[in-house]
Amino acid sequence: MNPEINIAQYITYVFAAFSLASALMVITAKNPVQAALALVLTFFLSAGIWLTLEAEFLAITLVLVYVGAVMVLFLFVVMMLDINMAQLRAGFIRYLPIGLLVAVLLAVLLIMVVGPAHFGLEQFAAPTRHAADYSNVRELGRVMYTVYVYPFEIASVILLVAIIAAIALTLRRRPDTKRQDPTQQIAVKRADRMRVVDMKAEAKK
Amino acid sequence: MFEDMQTVYIWIVLAPLIGAIIAGLFGKVVGRTGAHIAAIAGVAIAFILSLYVFKDIVIDGAQAFNGAVYTWLVSDGVRFEVGFLIDSLSAMMMVVVTFVSLMVHIYTIGYMKDDDGYQRFFSYIALFTFSMLMLVMSNNFLQLFFGWEAVGLVSYLLIGFWYKKPTAIYANLKAFLVNRVGDFGFLLGIAAVLMYFGSLDYATVFNNVDKVNNLTMSIIPNQDWSVITVICILLFIGAMGKSAQIPLHVWLPDSMEGPTPISALIHAATMVTAGIYMVARMSPLFELSTTALSFVMVIGATTALFMGMLGLVQNDIKRVIAYSTLSQLGYMTVALGASAYGAAVFHLMTHAFFKALLFLGAGAVIIAMHHEQDMRKMGGLRKYLPITWFTSMIGSLALIGTPGFAGFFSKDSIIEAVGHSTIPGASYAYFAVLAGVFITALYSFRLYFMVFHGKERMDEHTRSHLHEPSWVVTLPLILLAIPSVVIGYLYVDSMAFGNFFGDAIFVLPQHDVLGEVAKMFAGASSIAWAMMLHSVFTLPFWLAASGVATAWFLYMKRPDIPAVIQQRFSLIYTILINKYGFDRFNEIVFAGGSRAIGKICWRYFDVKLIDTFVINGSAKTVGWVSLILRRMQTGYLYTYAFAMIVGLCGLLLIFVYPLK
Amino acid sequence: MSFEIPDVMPALPEIFILSMACIILVVDLFLSKTSRGASYMLSQATLIIAVLITVATFSEASVLSFSDTFVRDGIADVLKIAVYIATFMVFLYAKDYLKDRGLFKGEFYTLGLFAVLGMMILISAHNFLTIYLGLELLSLSLYAMVALHRDSIQASEAAMKYFVLGAIASGMLLYGMSMIYGITGSLDLAVISANAANVSDNIVLIFGIVFLLIGVAFKLGAVPFHMWVPDVYQGAPTAVTIFIGSAPKLAAFAMLMRLLMDGLGSVSAQWQDILILLVLLSLAVGNIVAIAQVNIKRMLAYSTISHIGFLMLGVVAGTEEGVSASMFYAITYTLMSLGGFAMIILLSRKGFEAEKLADFKGLNQRSPWYAFLMLILMFSMAGVPPFLGFWAKLSVLSAVISVDLVWLAVASVIFSIIGAFYYLRVIKIMYFDKAESSEPIHCSKDMSLLISVNAFAVLLIGLFPGGLLSLCLNVVSAS
Repeated sequence: MNPEINIAQYITYVFAAFSLASALMVITAKNPVQAALALVLTFFLSAGIWLTLEAEFLAITLVLVYVGAVMVLFLFVVMMLDINMAQLRAGFIRYLPIGLLVAVLLAVLLIMVVGPAHFGLEQFAAPTRHAADYSNVRELGRVMYTVYVYPFEIASVILLVAIIAAIALTLRRRPDTKRQDPTQQIAVKRADRMRVVDMKAEAKK
Repeated sequence: MFEDMQTVYIWIVLAPLIGAIIAGLFGKVVGRTGAHIAAIAGVAIAFILSLYVFKDIVIDGAQAFNGAVYTWLVSDGVRFEVGFLIDSLSAMMMVVVTFVSLMVHIYTIGYMKDDDGYQRFFSYIALFTFSMLMLVMSNNFLQLFFGWEAVGLVSYLLIGFWYKKPTAIYANLKAFLVNRVGDFGFLLGIAAVLMYFGSLDYATVFNNVDKVNNLTMSIIPNQDWSVITVICILLFIGAMGKSAQIPLHVWLPDSMEGPTPISALIHAATMVTAGIYMVARMSPLFELSTTALSFVMVIGATTALFMGMLGLVQNDIKRVIAYSTLSQLGYMTVALGASAYGAAVFHLMTHAFFKALLFLGAGAVIIAMHHEQDMRKMGGLRKYLPITWFTSMIGSLALIGTPGFAGFFSKDSIIEAVGHSTIPGASYAYFAVLAGVFITALYSFRLYFMVFHGKERMDEHTRSHLHEPSWVVTLPLILLAIPSVVIGYLYVDSMAFGNFFGDAIFVLPQHDVLGEVAKMFAGASSIAWAMMLHSVFTLPFWLAASGVATAWFLYMKRPDIPAVIQQRFSLIYTILINKYGFDRFNEIVFAGGSRAIGKICWRYFDVKLIDTFVINGSAKTVGWVSLILRRMQTGYLYTYAFAMIVGLCGLLLIFVYPLK
Repeated sequence: MSFEIPDVMPALPEIFILSMACIILVVDLFLSKTSRGASYMLSQATLIIAVLITVATFSEASVLSFSDTFVRDGIADVLKIAVYIATFMVFLYAKDYLKDRGLFKGEFYTLGLFAVLGMMILISAHNFLTIYLGLELLSLSLYAMVALHRDSIQASEAAMKYFVLGAIASGMLLYGMSMIYGITGSLDLAVISANAANVSDNIVLIFGIVFLLIGVAFKLGAVPFHMWVPDVYQGAPTAVTIFIGSAPKLAAFAMLMRLLMDGLGSVSAQWQDILILLVLLSLAVGNIVAIAQVNIKRMLAYSTISHIGFLMLGVVAGTEEGVSASMFYAITYTLMSLGGFAMIILLSRKGFEAEKLADFKGLNQRSPWYAFLMLILMFSMAGVPPFLGFWAKLSVLSAVISVDLVWLAVASVIFSIIGAFYYLRVIKIMYFDKAESSEPIHCSKDMSLLISVNAFAVLLIGLFPGGLLSLCLNVVSAS
């Protein structure tokens, strides 16, 4: 056994193995809520891998953004929709053989290239560990606002476009919406609402 | 006045083009008046600017301009450009073209006033002016070819202008096919130039003639031909088509089916002389090949004599003038063959004026006669159409070479030059041009007497409506009559015998026949006067006079004699009336033969081989594959995503896996 | 750490478009329905001023800024100007169509301008990051524009397909980028180019290139990553189709050129074969399947695919001549495609989409002028001389032949001859079939004028291609 492998590396492999398993659950789970929850788990495990890779800030951001915001929203949507699983499953079974074939083929091809033969320590030396007081938040901030200021600005524009697109595609002003208009209510005159009718008294016969 | 002459040149060609576009594309919007104003304004601008260029180049003696205006494309080191070469030769051509064109434009207002295609017509003739200017102003073969084809195109369009008339369509097709033969030779000539000189630029080609001069090529094995001779003859075949030389002349008489202004502008004054202009422009090449010059001379002489004779038996007023044009083009060609390029171009100019005048005069007669073209139904029109009569008389006198008139100087220069030429075929040509003088005088005055004098043979209804056409018709006649009289006297010294053309035309010392002729008049202060005084003692003058006298005798004094002659010499008459059988020959051999070959090809190659096997077979296969591929486009998202993944796997398998 | 404030002047056009897009976004909120035209006018003015700014600061020299993530050179300027003009034409062509269908909203213009910004970023990219972000900005705007017609099921479906497939493609693009980053150690295109030549491990390089090319191929619509093209072209409102089918092709060409020439130019032998395969598949599928189409929007979609094949052909050559030929092709294709889709818009009316080939029947009887314009466009697309399309094809073919790939040129010509069939069929339908509808064609004056100018530009530049050809060659060889 390679003596350089230490405890942190074991943890990485454990996280990796579990995240693969939970990712598989995402696409195989019968219940869509279960699938969504499996996805949450996958995110957590990925965050764990990132932590061991010294990307603490990104790991925490992943949990905050994807788990805390995106997936919760997604769960709400899944719970509110009525999805007919049997129908989906029928298609799944039908295309399974050919799908599996291609998936396996792709996996083999990927592993062939992205394996230790091309990305092992012989090709790429292990990166040196940073000192304990190294803050990757500060480093990130520094390059983001200096070297990568242009991509950063573009990213912000992309977010703006996403907002515009979301509003443009979903906001509907219904013509039949009933609403109060206070100015109109205040400006009302007696004559608008009430009519004094002059009439003769009617005697009972 | 103008800082940059280049701008002037560009506007000279653009102005008629803009006029053509306005009249053609926006004809409905601008109306009839708008169309003719636009076209005439365009041509008038071109004319005025051309005059300015003429003054600049010829009178002030400015340096000739040779340069590219726009580089169209560079391919394999050969530049294809739009460029102008403006020297005294092209400046003169520009003035002639724009002047005659302007006259014809004005005339057209009157001639076409009742026609539905009024705007279309103006658009075409303005477009023609543009194309012709591009042709004469070009400084390279490609643009020359563009102009060549463009004037040809407009010519076909205009011959078939009355496209509902079957004869017009037939004439149109004939002109197109015959010109294809000429153009084929021309294109081969240009290709040969490109092959041996590596350039299409005039200046580059002319500067390199020495390198190519002694080269030979063998098209048939063991048969060495001089490259220059082959190039010259090929180019001249192009000129034969455009300038209607035997045997490619057959389209010109039929082209008279087009409206008369067109006959004047395109089929007499300008387009048909493009071949003459081109050969004169190519003088540095032609000078090097005596064989080619002899060929040119013999063809020209044959055309000059035999086509003139056909004019004697025609009764259609326009056809007589058409044959006369053929004959005069023959004169110019003879002059080219004799290396008397100056005289050829000089005759081109004088001919442009008086022949346009004659055609427009004929047109005026035709309008007055309500589109009757048969001379046998005319006569005595002198008193009804005084202006037309007078101007036509001037035109006829100029044509036959009456001393003092324009045609005299140019034609006599040619005859004298041919007389001094020593290349093979010169004596035949000398005989032909001399005999041609008599013939010319005879048919010209036959026409003149039959139309304007003698008995009034038209019917009563036509006679009662006879009157001089409006001023738009007569004004061009008068304006054309003036140069028909004076232009020869003014320019004979410089153009035919002087140094008018400078470097534009190149003549070898041993070929300088015009120089020899000029020696005859050495000592005279003005060659023009000397020629006139001398003419009374020469053969051409008496031949022309006897031609007029014969015409007078046969058609005025004894109108019964022509019928007798016709009977007595019926064989000759039949030959002449059948135009030596050229049309019949073409009809049977070329048209019939190609139809037969076409039929065979169609039946065996097209139907059997290509249609059933190649086309239908491959079309079926393509359609079948197409349907299958279309099925794959299911419309389902997962199919598409799956296709992408399969595509990815495919690419990885093909490109990454083998490296493993 | 020392940091130099970057020079923002080269990015002036980008900054201007961004500011104006935001201003229009805000202004539009305060406009009533009747004065919506103001957003349109503002957008058009923005594009015109952007042309002026770019022309005024035009320079063939290449300038880097923002820590080398941004480049401005002659190619970028010419392509950007083409993008502005194309978008200007799209907005004009689209105006009446949008009004008739209740889509005349400010969002169309703001999203359009953001898409333009995305294209500009792509065109001026000098870093993997900027390429990716520019692509996303462009794509996101386009997804939203396709879906803008919310009540149309077809449009929503098309948007959905476009979005999902686009996400897959950009995932692959990112993966490829990360691979190449892994072995070259940089995101900067110039550094990548320098390092890639010394990479010992070719497998990873090619692996990365395959993924990278899939991302580009998807954006361009090259086979086999073309499936979205016909569905989106057909499903989207024609006003959006004309946009997708025109200006973004210029940006996609820029992306292809930046990635392959600027970034991987030193290892061109590695990607040439992959590109050749994509070219052949695109030419084959595009031309053959187009024949079976009855919907003209779909037909033009397949025609796009085949044109993309030709466009990539120049880059295959990998020479300056080839790249400039491709650039010329991209610009001319944009012009022809604008005209073609504009004719569809022209024939459509309120409540009627002229999508079928049959809708063009007997157009000559209804309006000889428009039939003539369409004739010019179709001839040009088919590559008949002397129209513009002929020169575009000729220049890419000569570029390919000059690198001794004669067989490829011959194959391309064969496919384009097959392709000529369906263009000529349109002409046949217009001129020789009897009209089914005798309804006169209404359209506003500005549209009629622009469509005429459009078609005549195709004819005139075809007659005088020298200027544009030499402009492309000059800017390519200067950078």
